[in-house]
Amino acid sequence: MTTMNMVQAINQALSQGMAKDTSIIMLGEDIGTDGGVFRVTDGLLSKFGPERVIDTPLVELGIIGMGIGMALNGLRPIVEIQFQDFIYTAMDQIINQMAKIRYRSGGEYTVPMILRTPYGGGIKGGLYHSQSGESYFVHTAGLTVVTPSNPYDAKGLLMGAMKTDDPIIFLEPKRLYRTIKQEVPEEEYTVPIGKANLVHEGDDLSIITYGSMVPTVLDAISKNKVNADVLDLRTLLPMDRDAIFKTVEKTGKVIIVHEAPRTLGVGAEISALIAENRIDYLQGPILRVTGPDSPFPYRMEDYYIPGEKRIMDAVSKLIKLR
Amino acid sequence: MADTKTDNKTKFIKGYTAMVLSRTLDKKIVNAQRQGRVGFYTPTMGQEALQIGAGMALEDRDLIYGYYRDVPLMISRGVPIETILNQIFGNSADISKGRQMPSHFGVKKFNFMSVPSPVASNMPLAVGAAYSIRYKKENKIVLSTFGEGSTSTPDFHASMNLAAVFNVPVVFLCENNGWAISMPVEKQTKVEIWTKAAAYGMRGIKVDGNNMLETYEVVSDAIKRARAGEGPTLIDAISYRMGPHSTSDDPSKYRSQEVTEGSENDPITVTEKLLKGMNYIDDKFIESIKAKTQKIVDDKFDECEKIPPPDPATAFQDVYKNMTWMLSEEVGGIL
Ligand SMILES: Cc1ncc(C[n+]2csc(CCOP(=O)(O)OP(=O)(O)O)c2C)c(N)n1
Repeated sequence: MTTMNMVQAINQALSQGMAKDTSIIMLGEDIGTDGGVFRVTDGLLSKFGPERVIDTPLVELGIIGMGIGMALNGLRPIVEIQFQDFIYTAMDQIINQMAKIRYRSGGEYTVPMILRTPYGGGIKGGLYHSQSGESYFVHTAGLTVVTPSNPYDAKGLLMGAMKTDDPIIFLEPKRLYRTIKQEVPEEEYTVPIGKANLVHEGDDLSIITYGSMVPTVLDAISKNKVNADVLDLRTLLPMDRDAIFKTVEKTGKVIIVHEAPRTLGVGAEISALIAENRIDYLQGPILRVTGPDSPFPYRMEDYYIPGEKRIMDAVSKLIKLR
Repeated sequence: MADTKTDNKTKFIKGYTAMVLSRTLDKKIVNAQRQGRVGFYTPTMGQEALQIGAGMALEDRDLIYGYYRDVPLMISRGVPIETILNQIFGNSADISKGRQMPSHFGVKKFNFMSVPSPVASNMPLAVGAAYSIRYKKENKIVLSTFGEGSTSTPDFHASMNLAAVFNVPVVFLCENNGWAISMPVEKQTKVEIWTKAAAYGMRGIKVDGNNMLETYEVVSDAIKRARAGEGPTLIDAISYRMGPHSTSDDPSKYRSQEVTEGSENDPITVTEKLLKGMNYIDDKFIESIKAKTQKIVDDKFDECEKIPPPDPATAFQDVYKNMTWMLSEEVGGIL
C-alpha cells in the first residue's frame, strides 16, 4: 500500500498494464514528452518509448479514429483526449464507429479500446474545460461508461478496462485528480465494471451519485450527521440496477446528485428506473441535485457545481433534520 | 522476363474477368431493385478498372478500409458474389446479419473492413491500422478508398496529415468519379485532388482510372513504397460514375450522361481494347466469358434471394460481447 492521489493511481495502472501487455499502446496530445497536461502519463514515454506512448497532432477525431484502427488490427489502444470538452469534434468516430463496429460487422470486428478523458468543473476552466458530457455517451449503445471517484477505484477500474473487449469511455473527474489521497495497493487488482459501491451506509435516505460529486456528498452528510446510504455508481453504462434497487428498498427516499445539467442527465434515467420498478417502496418524490441547464461559467463555478447547501436543501425536503 | 509476361497475362485476364463479373452483377442488382426485389444499392458501374487495377496490386494479407462503392474491389480479391448478394438481401447468411443497409459490406476473411455510412470515416481507422501494422512488424499495407466528395471532410484532412506525420504504410485511393451525388468535383474543391498531397508532405499522383493497367502500375508502385517504409501516397484515380448515385437517385435532375455503356470511355471497352492489343483476349473469349458470367450471376442471385431473413432475435446481439441487462429486458418486450 502506498498513499496516492488519482493521477498517481491512474499512472500506475497505465504503467503496469503496459509493462504486462505489449498490445497496449497510448496516444494523445502532449502525453509523451510533456506527460499530459495533467501529468497523468508522466514518465511513461521514457519507460515504453515513442512507438507506444505517441504524441499526436492536434485532431481529436483523428486520434480516436486511429485508436479504433489499431484496436481492429489486434492492439489495445488507450487514447487520451486532453479535455472532455474537445471530444465533440470526434463524436462521429465515437458514436458511429467505436460504438457500432462490433454490431455492424456481425461480431467479426471488435474494438477493445479505452478512451480516457478528464471531465467536470472546479479548476477554473470556464465553458470549455469544465463540461460533464457523460449523458452523450450513456445514450450510445455499444459504449461502456466508467467514472471513478477515488484513487483506489481509478486504478482498479482502469485495470479492469484494459481486460475488456469492448470500447470504454473512462471519465476522470479532474477536480479530484490531486485532492484526495488514499492507500492504493502497489500490486495489480481490478474493480469490476458495472458494479456500484455503497460508500456510506445509513437508513434514512439514499443518495445516488458518482464521480466528482461523491466526496461532496460524503462531506455534506458527515458534517450534517445525515444517516444516509451513499451509492457511488462507478459505471454509468450499464448502470448497476440491483444496487440502486437495493438502497431504494431500504430507505424509500432518493436523491440523485450529479454535476452535469439536469435535463436528460443520468439522474433522469435513475429516476425512471426507480419509478418503473420500485415505486411501491417510495416514501417521497425522487429529487435531483444537479448542475443547471446552462453552459459552465468561469468566475461563478461554485454556483454551478452542486455543493453542501443544495444537497442539504434536498435532504431536508425528505427527512426531518436533527 | 518471360515469367513476368505470363504472370501478367494471367493477372490481366483475371482482372478483366472480374470486371465482367462486377458489371454483370451490378446491372443485375440495379434491375432487381427496379422490380422491387432489392431494397437499395449504390451502383459501381464505371469504377471497375480502377478498383480492380488496385485490387490486383494487393496481397491477400493487406487490409482494405473501403467504402460503399467497392464491389469490384471485393470481387478482385476473390470475395464470392454470394457474400455480396447476401449482404444486399440482408438475409440470414449475411455476415452483418441483416443489420446494415445494402452496399455496406464487411468481410473479415478477405480483410475488407466493415463499411459505415458517414463518408471518409474509415480513413482515420486505416491510418491507425497502418500504425499497428508497423508496430507489430507485420508485412502488410492498408488500402484506404473513398470518393472525391469525401476529400472535403475533416476525416480526410486528419487522415492525410496523420499518415504523413507517422509515415505509415497506407495507400489512399481516391475514386474520383466526378460526382458526389449531384455535386460535380469542380464545385467540391478548387484544386485537383492529387495536388492536396503536397500540403501534407505526401506523394500525390493522378492516374487514368479507366485504365486498369495504368492504375495497377501506379498502385503497385505506391504499395511497394509503403511496404519499404517510405510512407503513404495519395492516388487520384479519375473515372466516371456511370450509374446514378444510388437506386434512389435520378441524375437527369443535375447532369447529362457523359459515359454510356459500351462507349469508348467505358472502362470495360477500354480494357478490352488494351488486352486485345496485347493479344491476351479476343472477341470469342469476350463473348463466352460474358455469357458464362451472366448465367452464374443469374443462378447465384436466385439462390441468395431464397435464403430466409435473419431470426429477429439476432438484431439485438453483438452490441457488446455480453448483452446488457437493459437490452435483454427491452428485447423481452419486443420479441
Ligand atoms: C458524413 C456524410 N455526409 C453525408 C452523407 C450522404 N452522402 C452519401 S454519399 C454522398 C456523396 C459522396 O460522394 P463521394 O465521396 O464523391 O463518393 P461517391 O458516392 O461519388 O462514390 C453523400 C453526400 C454521408 N453518407 N456521410
